[in-house]
Amino acid sequence: MPLKRFLKQPLQRLSDLQSKYNIFTSISITANKEQTNKPLTNYVASIKDNIVTKDLPTTCASHILENFKSPYDATVVKLLKQAGVHILGKTNLDEFGMGSGGVHSMRGPVINPLYPHEQGMIMGGSSSGAAASVVCDLVDFALGTDTGGSVRLPACYGSILGFKPSYGRLSRFGVIAYSQSLDTVGILTKKIDVLRKVFQVLDKYDTKDPTSLNDELRGLIEKNMKAKKPLKIGIVKEFNHESLPSVFHELYSSFLKKLVNLGHEIYPVSIPSVKNSLPIYYTLSPAEAASNLSRYDGIRYGYRDSKLDIKDGVLFAPTRSKFGIEVKNRIILGNYNLCSDAFKNNFIKAEKLRVNLIDEFDRIFRFPNVLTDSKGNPEGLDILVVPTSSKLPETIKDFQEQESKSPANSYINDVFTVPMSLAGLPTLSMPLKEKTPIGVQIVGQYGDDSTVLDFVESLS
Amino acid sequence: MLRFARCYSLARSKATQIQSTVFRPEYALKCGLEIHTQLNTKNKLFSQSTNSATPLLDVPNHHTSFYDVALPGTQPVLNLEAILFAMKLSLSLNSQVNMVSQFDRKHYFYGDQPQGYQITQHYRPFARGGKVNLSRELDGIDELSKDISIVQLQIEQDTGKSHYTDADKDVVTLVDLNRSNIPLIELVTNPDFSDIKQVKAFIKKYQNLVRHLHISSGDLETGAMRVDVNLSINGFARVELKNLPNTSSIINAIKYEYQRQVELISRGETDSLLEPETRGWTGSSTVKLRSKETTIDYRYMPDPELPYINLAPDVISGMAASMLELPDDIMRMLMQKPFQLSLKDAKILTYNGNQNDMYNHEALRSYYLETFHEFSKLIGKHSSAKLPTNWIIHEFLGDLNKLQVPLGKAQEILPPAVFAEFLRLLYTDTISPTSGKLLLFYILENFKQSGCQDSSIPDLPKLIKEFELHAITDVDSQELMTLCNDIIAQHTDDAFIRNLVSGKKKTSLKFLVGQGMRQSQGRIKASEFEKKFKEILNIQW
Repeated sequence: MPLKRFLKQPLQRLSDLQSKYNIFTSISITANKEQTNKPLTNYVASIKDNIVTKDLPTTCASHILENFKSPYDATVVKLLKQAGVHILGKTNLDEFGMGSGGVHSMRGPVINPLYPHEQGMIMGGSSSGAAASVVCDLVDFALGTDTGGSVRLPACYGSILGFKPSYGRLSRFGVIAYSQSLDTVGILTKKIDVLRKVFQVLDKYDTKDPTSLNDELRGLIEKNMKAKKPLKIGIVKEFNHESLPSVFHELYSSFLKKLVNLGHEIYPVSIPSVKNSLPIYYTLSPAEAASNLSRYDGIRYGYRDSKLDIKDGVLFAPTRSKFGIEVKNRIILGNYNLCSDAFKNNFIKAEKLRVNLIDEFDRIFRFPNVLTDSKGNPEGLDILVVPTSSKLPETIKDFQEQESKSPANSYINDVFTVPMSLAGLPTLSMPLKEKTPIGVQIVGQYGDDSTVLDFVESLS
Repeated sequence: MLRFARCYSLARSKATQIQSTVFRPEYALKCGLEIHTQLNTKNKLFSQSTNSATPLLDVPNHHTSFYDVALPGTQPVLNLEAILFAMKLSLSLNSQVNMVSQFDRKHYFYGDQPQGYQITQHYRPFARGGKVNLSRELDGIDELSKDISIVQLQIEQDTGKSHYTDADKDVVTLVDLNRSNIPLIELVTNPDFSDIKQVKAFIKKYQNLVRHLHISSGDLETGAMRVDVNLSINGFARVELKNLPNTSSIINAIKYEYQRQVELISRGETDSLLEPETRGWTGSSTVKLRSKETTIDYRYMPDPELPYINLAPDVISGMAASMLELPDDIMRMLMQKPFQLSLKDAKILTYNGNQNDMYNHEALRSYYLETFHEFSKLIGKHSSAKLPTNWIIHEFLGDLNKLQVPLGKAQEILPPAVFAEFLRLLYTDTISPTSGKLLLFYILENFKQSGCQDSSIPDLPKLIKEFELHAITDVDSQELMTLCNDIIAQHTDDAFIRNLVSGKKKTSLKFLVGQGMRQSQGRIKASEFEKKFKEILNIQW
């Protein structure tokens, strides 16, 4: 059965949008045969192209995985298929998920459909195509991955919902690792009820993923659940709000007023370690990336240099020169961090600081953390509200210019999203105004995804 | 397939005997071992692939999963059996098992290293410390007793295998990933060895230990066990020796390297011995593989997705309580009262000699011990340790081998209680040893002829009666006299008798008794013959 029947839009529109915004890396118009009485029957979804699928190629938008087709489906893909979802295609991204602009792809940058495409505005990354597919209403929801903000930032720039669940809730089996102590599968959509349904389908323990949250701990979290009303909401001092654009401040203060009117209590709170987040993140994630990307040698799959396997005495250098510039930068940085001379000073220190950050989060939340055995602070907060981005979307040209001056310019963009990645906290970015690329993140304690979802639902 | 230039010729020259190596006290050898042992778990370390028991017969890349070939998106899931095996080995070596250990990634590129890194335990290994005791008594070393101390034990993944083929023009490498991700334990000893005998004894002992624990085949030939040697002389930098496929390579490489370094030192050319280096064994000499300058930085990183191995104290104590007796303890037990076995016989019951299909040492040991126990019950004392030993380890096993009847089968018709009864018949002289041999062989041969199907217990008294195997206890004196006289007439002359009677050649009496035994088919006791011959010939001594 052709997928057209289920498409909310005619096929012609799909190809128009694709040529304008560069959303997909591959498209499939074969429909899912599982269609009756499944929880997500007739839903259409897109999958970020760093999540493996049997039916479509998986490229990570990298030359190194040119024409790679996985012999198996990722667990999240399998679960969606079983739930009756039609998968429309694989979406464009920053190569291997590395980037926050959506510009580092061998298929070219994704353009933000919130703006006329001639303006060439960035979508935000790395789940750029995922966000664009939702913004254009080509799909009901998209699966992305979020390592340091890769679901939340493009969701914010597309004025849609972007949810990064607690680390370990959604299986990573079949998600191509960038930095797997942080990588989290996320859901992008316009509707909170859709988000909930999809989350429910995917929120399962997977024995194939060693970091999957096991049933025992899930049960413990369930037991800790209590109905809370009103909520205690925290505003974190260390997130520098002054730097934000003035248009943000207007929307933000009316949002906070709305919360007060709904009877919630708002408190300022301090998390000193937040200021260490970027150094921690850019020490650990490139190191993990350098390690994870060592497998791309061209021998078993993917691109391989046709002539040489060795250059200047380095095995596989000719093949691996095909990585894009941003990926190469991070591999170099990562290998530097892992060098025996630097390891103790950088990597170990970063891991310690990461633990400190998690401890500080544990101290301000009321909900217990089952991973750290924190009992929860009885006087603590239920959720935090944090801006999603320090900037508004810019043109691709400006973004690339900034980046070419210093890669750090684009790294700074992650300042509001990275702390929650380091602590594995459930975080949902929601727009403050329709069709406006300004959003806030609703952050819950580890495992307390339902409070975050309930809260966002209560606002709609 | 992967193609790249080789660093040195892999062609193996024939192993040459290094005869001239003399170990001299003024050049003190200091040696340590690094042993990689493949664990024979059912599955691989981090995947569900089968861990093949017959690696040499397998189709290349047959035992591989998506994880083993490092497909994108795959993840390691720890095989707990490997942890259990590691715990057994650590406890047997008196090593301190760490309550928390972790997996780390060791990075280097190679065609048979699909992830680009090996998962090992670098920062917190599975166990630390421990020792292996070598003794003159059990291991044949020169010292009365010597402890080899252990630095650590770590669990890690094996790599794949590269096969190098020479085409006419280019060199092709074939990669087989069957071995990739098989669990290994790397054991590192301190440099406690000071001579080759100790090295040999240690390897043998360690090999026997892993076999005894059923955690590895321990075979060097298949690569299930691989030994690297590090060695230094008179405190110069340590040299690591690799590519040592069997015991003789290990020994010859040490001898060669010792000789090489002694020559350098005695000529004063010690510059090359100031920096550590790694050398390979070609079969006849050691060649430099890499030195400090060319050593790569492995960039060890804690694995970001594998959880720590957290052991509860009761897991370790529970395992310790359920541990099998260790080979040395078994050996000592067998060599002491009441068994008093020789070293050789004790080894037969303790070690997997690996060359006999008819029995394994463990089944044989329990058969021996049970039979011994039953026999002791029957005769009420332990005085006759020799009887069960000779008849089980030598006679019975000999018959099984001759007839190709497996012990497991033979036990059906000769359970320990029946064999003990058979021993009692010998002990009480109800049957002579000669008759016993005939009877035992007959029983087993009969069983074999039934295709090992007829497992009814043999009726010993009936068989003895049927074949008239009874020792003749009530010997008719007249008959015996006739028999002895016949023997004297047939086999002796005057000189023979003279020398015998005078006591000049006393052993001649044994000859006569032997003739008697033969003619009576052993049914008349030797002492009866002896008495009668002395009487006839009037021997006074």
